[in-house]
Amino acid sequence: MTTSPSGPRGWSRRSFLSGALAAGGLGAAGALSGCGSPLAAGIAGTPLNPGTVTFWNLFGGGDGARLQTMLDQYMAEHGGSSSLQAATFAWGNPYYTKVSLATLGDKPPDVAVAHLTRSQNLATAGLLQPITDDMLSLVGLSSTDFTPSVWENQQVDGTSYAIPLDTHPLVLFYNKQVCEQAGLLDGDGKLTPIAGIEQWEAALTAAKEVTGEYAVSYSNVADFATPWRVFQTFYQQHAGATPFLGDGGTELTVDEDAAMDTLAYIRRMSDQGWLPSAADYAGAQTLMFTGQSAFYLEGEWEITTAQAIEDLDFGMVTVPQLFDKPAVQADSHTFVLPAMERTPEQMELAMGFIKSMLDQSLTWAEGGHIPSYLPTLDSPEYAALTPQSDYASSADIAVYDAQAWYSGSGSTFENTVGAQIGLVQQQLATPEQAMAQIRSQLSVYLDTPSPL
Amino acid sequence: MATQTIGTSRRRNGVSAAAPARATTTTKVNGPRTFNIVAGIVLGVFAVLWLIPSAWAIKTSLVSNETASLGADAILRDTDPTLHSYATLLQSGQLWNWYLASFITSAGTVVLTVVFGSMAAYAISRLRFRGRQLVFVLILAGIMIPAQVLIVPIFQELEAVGLLNTYWSVIFPQVPAVIAVFIFKQFFDGLPREMEEAARIDGAGLWRTYWSVIMPLSRPVIAAVSILTFVSVWNNLILPLFVLSNPDLMTIPVGLATVQGSYGQRFADIQASAVLGALPLVVLYLLFQRRIVEGVTGSGIKG
Amino acid sequence: MTAQTLTPPAEATTQTRDRTVKLPDGKAAWLFLAPFGIFYVLFLIGPTLYMFVVSFFNTSIVQPGLGGFAGIANYAEMLTRADFWSAMWHTLQFTLYTVPPLVILAFVFAVLANRVQRGQWFFRLAFFVPFVLPSACISLIWVFLFTPATGLWPQFQSLLGFTQTAVLADPTWAMVGIAVATIWWTIGFNFVLYLAGLQDIPRELYEAAAVDGASPWHQIRYLTIPLLRRTTTLVILLQIIASLKIFDQVYLMTNGGPGISTQVALGLITGTAFTDYRVGAASAASVLLFIVIVVIAVIRQLFDRAEERKA
Repeated sequence: MTTSPSGPRGWSRRSFLSGALAAGGLGAAGALSGCGSPLAAGIAGTPLNPGTVTFWNLFGGGDGARLQTMLDQYMAEHGGSSSLQAATFAWGNPYYTKVSLATLGDKPPDVAVAHLTRSQNLATAGLLQPITDDMLSLVGLSSTDFTPSVWENQQVDGTSYAIPLDTHPLVLFYNKQVCEQAGLLDGDGKLTPIAGIEQWEAALTAAKEVTGEYAVSYSNVADFATPWRVFQTFYQQHAGATPFLGDGGTELTVDEDAAMDTLAYIRRMSDQGWLPSAADYAGAQTLMFTGQSAFYLEGEWEITTAQAIEDLDFGMVTVPQLFDKPAVQADSHTFVLPAMERTPEQMELAMGFIKSMLDQSLTWAEGGHIPSYLPTLDSPEYAALTPQSDYASSADIAVYDAQAWYSGSGSTFENTVGAQIGLVQQQLATPEQAMAQIRSQLSVYLDTPSPL
Repeated sequence: MATQTIGTSRRRNGVSAAAPARATTTTKVNGPRTFNIVAGIVLGVFAVLWLIPSAWAIKTSLVSNETASLGADAILRDTDPTLHSYATLLQSGQLWNWYLASFITSAGTVVLTVVFGSMAAYAISRLRFRGRQLVFVLILAGIMIPAQVLIVPIFQELEAVGLLNTYWSVIFPQVPAVIAVFIFKQFFDGLPREMEEAARIDGAGLWRTYWSVIMPLSRPVIAAVSILTFVSVWNNLILPLFVLSNPDLMTIPVGLATVQGSYGQRFADIQASAVLGALPLVVLYLLFQRRIVEGVTGSGIKG
Repeated sequence: MTAQTLTPPAEATTQTRDRTVKLPDGKAAWLFLAPFGIFYVLFLIGPTLYMFVVSFFNTSIVQPGLGGFAGIANYAEMLTRADFWSAMWHTLQFTLYTVPPLVILAFVFAVLANRVQRGQWFFRLAFFVPFVLPSACISLIWVFLFTPATGLWPQFQSLLGFTQTAVLADPTWAMVGIAVATIWWTIGFNFVLYLAGLQDIPRELYEAAAVDGASPWHQIRYLTIPLLRRTTTLVILLQIIASLKIFDQVYLMTNGGPGISTQVALGLITGTAFTDYRVGAASAASVLLFIVIVVIAVIRQLFDRAEERKA
């Protein structure tokens, strides 16, 4: 079925132009060089690589390597390297800008990765193809194959636009050697559950005595995402916590008291010397890897990095509930289909690719992510994975970022707020100053009508 | 009063005697030898310093990715050059697509700019028509428009007609190079009119006069404009960055820009891609040094 | 680096006699002008006008049409937005960091090169070759040089006993790093210009001065510099205009970071248009930048003409 996607500017003009150019003899160039070639596409606007699945993603580092094995598997099963063309772009805004512009320019990839929080914006902007039950059943999938909360969260106005791959929450890494010396491990060598601030601070104190340096670390230098994730986690654990932004991003609905309390607590941890005031991404994890810190807060994807460290015995666990209720910041990676005209064959190829990736969810889960694909999540193999199983429950208490056109993973919102939170941790700003800055810097976006 | 170079070489109508580019000129100063020797040494030191970044890139491109990620020390000590990075890049196919895109867009712009620009210059220089001064002034005004700042409306224009992600989207906006018109006009103004008059008497129309008489005489200017336009389009980043989003269609600068984000820690590969990206232009420079330098001093076109 | 043009000198008075005589070439002339003219209107004038119009609307890149009328709201937003002014400031900062070295160093190199008897090809090669490279290449080269801890620069710092600076990750030094890379990249252009200017100065002047007992320093100070005044001013104005249009190196080396500490005007404009989808607001910022650049370009034109008349 050729679904006509909703497009911003009318697709008939584009096809007309391509048709005209092709008919006008420039198609000769295409014939000479092969219809799917860049030469033909560059001159006459013909489609690129029609028989190949093009896939864009933003996975670097350990995730990138893991993805590559999954892609290799797909290529092996589908006739070699001509079946797939994958491209990786820099994480965050640069990636989403590229995807958006490519879709506007009528040459998007067949399939793209998108954070759930960003896919909603892409969908509202009309850049994504809706995903119907028919499309799912093409490859034997259905909406019930996915974690219900995630499936619901990805929908926009009741329509689905994204097929979830995983949920990736903030987790607590712990150095087992240090924790053992601090008496924080239980009989099985796992961290005794920490509940509430007193137990947490007791653990931090004990840990600091053992390390002589820090108790917990996370990065805040040249990194705005992590401070935001930590803040969001602890903020959402407060009873009165409301979404940071409301009404599609036109109102600042953050609960002042809860926010101040959270910022003050972050400040307290750094004042007490439990938390380094400044650490960059690599530095923060190295502290835990080398035993200069007992705990490390970051997304679960760092499991690959940690596993590569020799002589490091570490564990991972859901971020403890320090305040009134359990909560942890998370986002999900999803597969989206950028809006373009697809032939039935292209649709099948694209869906087939997605299915292949989902079938390999276990490989992906080995990279720390919590699968959203129920057949994998509920499988005994996944349950046997440690330390993944120790934090699998994070998915149930995951909180996504508030929806706004300027919000989501790697977004301007995250950068703005995350920067201020980092400054509080660095003792360069008080909670009051940080909130004031946040309010002032976000005011531009709050007052601007959504461009979507 | 000493004449200033810029005016002079322009008045030489672009057919500069290449005086500025040669090593021996009329104005070598035989000051105190020591001063000159010191000057030579100081300059030599700076020149070597200036060569270091490129040399470093080349050196790094010849080690393995593992060695490169160990740091500067490891790279320096490496004595086992390998072409592995180059092999990877040249076999991947992506780089060739980028070369193709760059070449087509640069050559395409050169052809259109040279032909259309010289035609317009011919009209302004040689033809008599009402509104000639006005046209000239209008075009003069165009020089002051900073084309880069127009990236947003140009993007929208190209999107509206469906030209995004085609080579045309890179070529078309760069064709109206007003400076080319000026250079041609300057040159045409200095050509003697006898040949044209002779051709006219022989019954040649305007087009024939332009194409068969004026243009052959203009080879040096055509060469200068061609080369400088080629380099300018090849090196343009901001336009293709936003109008070409598909990696298969990207020009070299855009491709290299995405490489940085996507090659991760493969430092040797990254430096090799920089070398490969630079190679065509370095070759071009070595072949056409004189023309390029002349063009720079004579017309001040900057890439 | 940016597309940058020098204006040729204003014409000597044109033959105005033609006007009073019949004008036989009218129709043909327009045919000759048409192709260039079409592109000129479509891709230079048209976008300029469109930019002005759109700046008064809330145009979105993902919505058809012009969007809601915004009046001067976009301008108000830009002019009151902290990161707009910081972008303008960073643009100015970049200009201040690069123009003096690019002018002074290039002059010094050219003067020295002019004194050296042999090997000019070598100096030209060393200083000018970077100039023909695409910005993407120089960015890859310099980002690698500045790589924290393992890059050549931090290791060199350690070697000399200094603490390492992660240049591009440090808000204080990032713009300096970008400036250094830019100077390395584009000095060749000024170098060649100055060299040409120097070689046009008649030898007799120097010889006369030497006979009068002027030392090389004196010669440079009282002969060379004044005689190159016009070149220098031209170079300075050119550099300033080019710096205002800065985009490539910042996008490639820091993407405006860390945070927004190196974000420049064109970076903010393209970010607003293509990442935030807000074309209307971006157009307002574009207009503001456009005005600044045109004002300086006009100054340059006027200066150029004044100098022409003097010479």
